[in-house]
Parts: sequence; structure tokens; C-alpha cells
Amino acid sequence: MKTTPPLIEDLARRFSTKLLLKQELNLSEHRFQYLIAHQLIERVPGISSTLNFHQCNRCLNKNQILFGKIPQPNSKPIIYCKKCIQMGRVSTKEPLYRWTGPMPMRHNVANPLKWRGILTPLQEKASLKMVEAVNNQSNLLIYAVCGAGKTEMLYAGIQEAIKQDKRVCIATPRADVVRELAPRLRRDFPTIHSAALYGGSTERDLNNHLVIATTHQLLRYENSFDIMVVDEVDAFPYHRDKTLPKAVTRASKPNSTQIYLTATPRRSHKVQIATKQMPTVSIPSRYHGHPIPTPTFQAILRLNDSLEKDKIPTKITHWINEKQTNNRRFLLFAPTIQLAESLAEKLDMPYVHAESPDREYLIKQFRARNFESLITTTILERGVTFPSIDVAVIQADHHVFDEAALIQIAGRAGRSANDPTGDVTFFYEYKTNAMIQARNYTIIKNKEAKRCTV
Amino acid sequence: MICYLCLKPIKEDTTWSNFLTPQYRTICDRCEDKLEQIPHPHCPKCMKPTTDQKCNDCLRWEQHFGQDPLERNVSIYTYNEYMKDLIARFKYRGDYEIINAWKKSVRTAFNEQFKNQNFSIVPIPLGEDRHSIRQFNQAEAIATLLTEPIHQILTRQDGQKQSKKSRRERVFSNNPFQITQKPPKSILLIDDIYTTGTTIRQAASLLKEKGAEQVESLTLIRS
Repeated sequence: MKTTPPLIEDLARRFSTKLLLKQELNLSEHRFQYLIAHQLIERVPGISSTLNFHQCNRCLNKNQILFGKIPQPNSKPIIYCKKCIQMGRVSTKEPLYRWTGPMPMRHNVANPLKWRGILTPLQEKASLKMVEAVNNQSNLLIYAVCGAGKTEMLYAGIQEAIKQDKRVCIATPRADVVRELAPRLRRDFPTIHSAALYGGSTERDLNNHLVIATTHQLLRYENSFDIMVVDEVDAFPYHRDKTLPKAVTRASKPNSTQIYLTATPRRSHKVQIATKQMPTVSIPSRYHGHPIPTPTFQAILRLNDSLEKDKIPTKITHWINEKQTNNRRFLLFAPTIQLAESLAEKLDMPYVHAESPDREYLIKQFRARNFESLITTTILERGVTFPSIDVAVIQADHHVFDEAALIQIAGRAGRSANDPTGDVTFFYEYKTNAMIQARNYTIIKNKEAKRCTV
Repeated sequence: MICYLCLKPIKEDTTWSNFLTPQYRTICDRCEDKLEQIPHPHCPKCMKPTTDQKCNDCLRWEQHFGQDPLERNVSIYTYNEYMKDLIARFKYRGDYEIINAWKKSVRTAFNEQFKNQNFSIVPIPLGEDRHSIRQFNQAEAIATLLTEPIHQILTRQDGQKQSKKSRRERVFSNNPFQITQKPPKSILLIDDIYTTGTTIRQAASLLKEKGAEQVESLTLIRS
């Protein structure tokens, strides 16, 4: 058997199954030329153009508005993709590189799972289905309510995949979710190699067993994963951006297993569930067996007016005071950054939003119980778990709070088995369909859960 | 129409005035709010925010040169956190078209301060190495926003990045510029950022030495 020289093996680990820019290869010019000359890497055009219609071969963007031109003296302008420029520029002059050398080896781990917890019968059902999907290379949709213990349901499947020397990816649209999932998975699979990838993370994937990544990071991959788990499939930006599902497909191997996780499926998935096109397992109850808190509706007359005039209605201040006197920790959801900011100022509380520079720090501090309350926009609506908190939504009738968002927000309360009840209150001026549907959802799921346990 | 900064469509009300004389906006209100124009009061010579008649930087330059080769600098924006992100996207990631977002403000500044004074536009050049990575010169890109002819009469030897040097190193480092033809009388230098003013003055002193009579500068940012 021919063995690969250590240097080549090392490079294979870094570059195989990825599409990278020259600067991402991070090689000396000499070594780069050597790899090209020996056909260990090949060029892939960064932008494909037919009749002035462009496509970016990294982010798969086809929206012509998002291509830019750099004028060049004495030649045609360079076309570049603006959509994925944060990951470095792809252009007609800046191609991508694909590893064509030998595939790297991965060391085998016989029994990677060190978690000793016990699954509920419903979790067990989903867990077995996933193992089956891994073995049959089929797809599966896990439709489980918030707090059902989705992560633990994946463990047996991940273990099975790693035993078979398969490569697993857990992808999610949200970076906060990656930051929360990675330490848990590392604790429970301590002997495997894993990488957590999101914008700004410093970890590298060297052909690891497990990659936990935002869906955006998958734009750098092709034919890489045997098992692709997409957590929170219905979350922004994944369900809005048509190119991300394509990127997920490209990052997966042709005969891969696709597992989708959601608590609030969008219409396309609901149709697939109803018509049985997608094998589905439904988990209507939480891991601790207690019902999901049903939202309380609190109408406030002229709520929008008073907030605009920077006044906080007494119903809201009462709610806050009550929590503070009872020593309850809580999250306040605001529809816009501006409102979050003005509420934070008036209530003297910290606030986070997608662009806040200290977002990671504040979330960590709140988790460590260093402060009692946090004001947030919808960025904390899903994926993140704080044990025993209450939740209020200010302006629940705002259009950013659609059915899925409200269900997810309500799902933040009562997560812990020691404190399974929680208060969820929607403050609003005009009742919306989304609010009613969100409340119906909890009622229906709680009924289903009762039927399952009986 | 999309905003060149956030890449989202710009919604605009249709009014009689923009219906009759369509003006294409290149930046949305939200992004424009995040940019910060240089506040008053500032140094009349270099636009550094100060209440003094002339700021310490400018006084030091006068001591250094005797006669400062640069008559005046005009900048438009401050270097706030948002602008730092934009400049990283523009220069280091290479999003060339971002310049369109600043079209209106650069033109306004030029028209108010320099129009009809016979200035020849000279962008600060970029070394060859860096040009081949970036594929454009950021100063020239800004200069193209003005509808005036551009005189590319300077060249530059690649050196260490300015941002990696201390102030002392910047001021006393050798002049990296060369000149390719006799300079016109009045010159308006264009660059992206005025930090200590060293780069601009290196170019200005070379131009003065070779026969230019008046050198001023227009920079997008005063940091």
C-alpha cells in the first residue's frame, strides 16, 4: 500500500472537500505553484458567466444586482460577487481552489459517546429513527417542540455515524446556536475531533469527525459530509435565502443522510409532512414531560403611541416589578433595535441585538446569572437555553413576530426540569393571527403530548 | 435601486420632484445615519475636531517643514466604528462599488470647496504589489466620483503598511513617491484616509519641489 507523505497528508486535511480562495489556502507562493504544477489542487472559476449573466460559484448567488464591476485599464472589467464578500472576494480574476490530491485519513473512534443520560420514550423513538436514517442513507424530519431535548436525540445517530467512519455536520442558521451547541457536544463526545465554525471563529476543520457550523460557513464546502443535520431549518436566513439550501446540498456527499430539525416547520415542510414525502417523527412533549407554557395575552390601549412617546405602560412595569420582587429572571423581547435601545435606557437593563459588539459577552453574563434581566430583539428567539426564566413580548402584534417567532419565544420559558413552568406574556395593542396561532400551537401540542403519555 | 452599503432595496416615496427629475440614490437613510460627518468646530486647516484656531498637529507640521507643503485638507467623515468596518470591506476585502455610496457627499464637498479653482486632480497612488492584490487603487476610485479629469502623475514604491508604523516612523520614513511628469500649478490630492497627514505631505512636498505652486487635499475620512 502506498502511503501519503506527511506534508501532503497535512495539506489534504486542510483543503480536501473545500472550495477556497488563494488567501484562504495560506501557502507560500512557491508551495502554491508546486501544488498547481503537480495537480494536487485545481482552479475552479470564481464567477461563471454566460451571456453577461453571472453566478458566484462559492455562494451560488445569481442575483445580478449583487455583482459588482471593477474597471480595468485596457481590458474588460473584473466581475466580483458582493453577496459573500465578507468571506473574501470571489471574482473573475480570483478563482477558487479544489483539492485533487489523495483523500486524508481519519483515525477511528470506537465508542465516542460518553453521555450517560436517559432518553424519554419519545426521544428514544426519534433517536432510533435517526440511527436508521444513518444506516439507510435516507432523510428524516424531526418535528419536536422547543425544549424536547433535540440535541440528545441526535447522540445515538452521531455515534453510529462516527463508528462507521462517516463525517457529520450540524448546521444551523444562527451563530449563537453554534456557540451553545459546540461545548455540549464536546463534553459528551470528548474523544472525537470537532470544529465550531461561524463568522469570526478561529477554529479550523482538519477533516474532523464533527463540524458544527452556521449554514453560511458551508459555502466553503463541497461533497464533504455523510450526515448533514440542519437544526432550526425554518430560521432566518435559511428559509429566506434560496442559495443556502443549495449550499447545504453541495456540502453533503451524494449519498448522504439529511436530518432536519424544527419546532415550527414552514409551509413547504408542512406539505411534505402531510403528503408523507418526508419521513417525519413528531415529538409533542418536552423532555421533562411538563406542558409548554401557554402565552397570556395582555392588551394595552394605545401601546404603540405610548412607546413612541417614550412612555412605558403601567401593565408592563407591573409585570417587571412583579418578576423583580419574586426574584424571577426574565427576557424582554422587542421588535426593533430602536425600541430595545429605548427600553434599555428607561428600565436600566442591558440589551442585545444582532449588531451589538458585546453580544457574546452579554449572553454569557446573563447565562452566568450575573444579571437578572435582558432585553433582546428576535436574535435570542431560538436555540439558546436559559434555565427557569420568564418571557414577555413587547408589541407582540409587530410584523416581525410571526407565528414561528412567537412559538419559539414562548419556548424559552420553563426549560428546566426543576422549574418546568414559566410565564409567557404577550403585550399588544391589536391581536394578530400569529399570536392566536402561536397560542393554539401550544394548546394542540400539549394535548398531543398528553395522548402520547397515556 | 439598492443601497451600496447594506445591499437592500431603497424604498423611496414618489413625489412630483423626484418623478420629474429622477435622482438615483446610492445609500439608504439607515446607512447614511450611521456615517458621521466631521463635526464643528474643527481645525480650519486639517479638519481635526478642536476649538483652537489651528490644531497641534498642524503647528507641529509647520515646525517640521518651516513652510507646510500642504495648504489645506478637507475631509468628509469621521473614522467611527461603522466606517472602520466599511473601509475594511472596501480596501481589504475589495468591495470596489462601495464608493458609489459616497458619491453625493464627495461631489458636494468638492463643489463647495474646490470647484472652478483650476485644481488638477491627483490621486495618491498605490504600490504595484498591493494593486495586484486589490485590483484597484482606492484613492483613484474615490477620484472617479468627481466628474473631472484625473492626472495620475505619481507612482509609489511598495513599503511597509502605514498602519503598522508608529507616528515617529511615519513622519521620518523616506519619501515613497516618484513623479512621472512636470506637475500642474494647482493640485488637489485625493486619498481615502487622513490620519497623521504624512502620506499627503510626502506627496505634496515632492510636487512642490518639482514646481507645483499650490497643493490641497480632499480625503474621505479624517481619523
